[in-house]
Amino acid sequence: MSDATDEPNTKGPAKVLAGVRVFEVGTAIASPAIGKYLANFGADVLKVESRNNPDVVRALGSAWAAGVEELAPFFCDTGPYVTEMNAGKRSVALDLKRPEAIEAAQAILAHCDVFITNITTPAMAALGLSYEAVKAVRPDIIYVALPGFGSDPTSLYYEYVAWGPNQAPLVGLDNLTGYPDQEPAGVASVALPDYISALHGAIAVLAALEYRDRTGEGSFVDISQFEANVNLLGPFVYEQALNGTETRRMGNRTPWSAPEGVYPCRDGDSWVAISVTSDAAWCRLGRVIGADWCSEARYATTEGRIADHDLIDEEIAAWTRGYTPAEVATMAQAQGVAAHALIWSEHSIIDPQIRDRQMFHAGPSGRFDVDLWTGVPITLSDSKSGLERAGPAFGEHTAEVLTDLAGYDEEKIAQLADAEVAYLQHEPDHRLTRPYAGYIPFLVPSYVEEI
Amino acid sequence: MEPLSGIRVVEIAGLSTAYGMRMLAGLGAEVIKVEPPTGDQLRTFPPLADGVDAPENGLWFAHFATGKKSVVIDTTTAVGREQLQALVASADVVAEDLGEAGLADVGLDDAALRAEHPGLTWASVTPFGRTGPKKDWKGSNLVAWAACGVLYTVGFPERAPVLPGGVVQVACHITSLHASIGVQLALRAQRLGGPGQLVDVSMQDCCVAVAPETGPPLFLDDTVHRPRSGNRRPIVRPFGIYPCADGYISFLALLPAHWTAMAQWIHEATGNETVIEEVFNEISVRSDTMDLIDGWTEELSATMTKRELFLEGQRRGIPTTPVNTIADLVADEHLNGVDFWEDVDHPALGTVQATGAPMRANPWHWLSGRAPLLGEHTDEVLGALS
Repeated sequence: MSDATDEPNTKGPAKVLAGVRVFEVGTAIASPAIGKYLANFGADVLKVESRNNPDVVRALGSAWAAGVEELAPFFCDTGPYVTEMNAGKRSVALDLKRPEAIEAAQAILAHCDVFITNITTPAMAALGLSYEAVKAVRPDIIYVALPGFGSDPTSLYYEYVAWGPNQAPLVGLDNLTGYPDQEPAGVASVALPDYISALHGAIAVLAALEYRDRTGEGSFVDISQFEANVNLLGPFVYEQALNGTETRRMGNRTPWSAPEGVYPCRDGDSWVAISVTSDAAWCRLGRVIGADWCSEARYATTEGRIADHDLIDEEIAAWTRGYTPAEVATMAQAQGVAAHALIWSEHSIIDPQIRDRQMFHAGPSGRFDVDLWTGVPITLSDSKSGLERAGPAFGEHTAEVLTDLAGYDEEKIAQLADAEVAYLQHEPDHRLTRPYAGYIPFLVPSYVEEI
Repeated sequence: MEPLSGIRVVEIAGLSTAYGMRMLAGLGAEVIKVEPPTGDQLRTFPPLADGVDAPENGLWFAHFATGKKSVVIDTTTAVGREQLQALVASADVVAEDLGEAGLADVGLDDAALRAEHPGLTWASVTPFGRTGPKKDWKGSNLVAWAACGVLYTVGFPERAPVLPGGVVQVACHITSLHASIGVQLALRAQRLGGPGQLVDVSMQDCCVAVAPETGPPLFLDDTVHRPRSGNRRPIVRPFGIYPCADGYISFLALLPAHWTAMAQWIHEATGNETVIEEVFNEISVRSDTMDLIDGWTEELSATMTKRELFLEGQRRGIPTTPVNTIADLVADEHLNGVDFWEDVDHPALGTVQATGAPMRANPWHWLSGRAPLLGEHTDEVLGALS
């Protein structure tokens, strides 16, 4: 177990990861999302960040703050991703390219259990934060690295750049996204490979914690984001090897159930998704539409329906066009047929199911009285979980962490701040407000309960 | 010893737990897949191996059941339901996707079983979760992407929205990974002295959690709708997918240095003098001339293969990646160079090239292996129970 017994970021002993301290040097999603998940279950996650090589979410800022001169000093705190990826963490701002900062980092690392990073391996080595270097400070450290292409310096793509939106084409997801008669559509509106990597990372951290509790030993885990994502394509790799054929884009369909599709509804660009996943569901969908599909022999099997899928789609669309997406979904689900409206943008926060499941949360940070983030979608029946604080302001916790963990006194911290080796939060009393803050009590039921 | 050695997981579920439980097997857990006498439905999903008889020809099963054991139980009989009860009683973890009605069908009552076996961790994976007004709604990979806001944003504006990742079933895998994280957390809580827990995982929740780009945290802040925009982003160009000599390439020239390198490359390759004019260094100018820049970019991309463009783009420091097909990935020099692929020996399929470990760990190791034959471990597992 950790030597950490005082956990300023957790409430009560019931959180599963209370007592686990995480040192995170990350950017964007792939490692910050791991830290957020661990914090949700009680880990004390230190987001160690610098002004000169900032996390991209600090650089992105928020649209309403861009170009506003008086907001410039606070711009790095405004991006919605700061909270989305970093809620519940403590921000420790250090210029890790300076030897005094590395000295401070080492003093902190002596009190940490887990080290996570998605910075490239050569960059981490140059900082003096390679696995070997961190292990020298904390021999039982759990070090989980998520470089785009792995940590092998002899590998071909070792130094290549793989930004979020550029990963989905690389790992094979983009080519399978779209209609067979069209160019690949790609999935760049979301960053799925980053999250897939992060989920692998969280699993690795938890496995390594288990291993350390059993053996006393730390771990090094190297997760090549390329390899982790390609792992999802296993069935098609087998297909290449055994049949010499290749599965291609098939729109919204699968080769094992039919019909499946996205169908147009009454009002303009509005759509409903329907998946018929069994012969019985097919028969029942017919009943909803008012068609006698139960007795049509050629449609009795998936194969028969796949053969006539285009025709069936037209028949379904002729029906869906008369209703709203929610009406279609409700009628289909009443007969046990999988269906849902295609919701978008703000609608997910008012979706009755998502609202009931409390998927969105709100709380304060060192910059905002209230900020909003997506919750971690894992519910445990007998352990506390959840994040009380929004994403930290840049440097919000530098002083307290240097005091409590590195053992530095006020004078030393002031010196480091003057020399811009460490950064303290800029004007902590300057508060900002999101444009939608007034609506949060209506949007986030759990927040209403708290206030 | 591996991190989860000694942990027994009983999996009574399909794709929405398959990859996550395969992860637990890779970490050392004994994962027992319960199958009906005719075999798990996953065994029937195409692609199927040519020339191999059912039920061992299913390639989804071959991949996602790697490292698991197969126990056949006929839950339509009283004897089968008793066997299932006994198997569950021997487990540390049950992972199921049956929902309340489905559990009743196979004679399982999770609340009663958890009360009877206080150490038991129970992972419930359902389309919409165990609570809420849609808790009994049916789901699928497609329905999950619809219900989280992502599906609406993927595809070309003139066609219906289209599944992210298509037939890969990414929503199921993301959900299953959440289930395995939940199981690991619950096991830890139990080892620290707590009871076994119910882990409630909803596909809709999981998809919401991986998509703030299309959801409230971004939308409420900037109120910018993000409708589907085809395979290029409506921000600046080149940004997105471009045709090339043998397929498609992806460019992402957003930062100033990326653009200047891109412009220089187009200039050198096509003799275009305009593209290197300073006026285009301004991102707002490139945003106003997206069609022009797309045309210039295509003049470059059309003359080269995706591999040539990838290597040269990366050499020039431009975020460039090939739009890889499965065949491209299998042939990829990097993946081959780092020995990613593994040869799996399977009694029915033979020796086959398969995807390798999703993580490389030390001092413990990821366990590879193969998928079980139907009922391969029935006697061993059920025999030890009686």
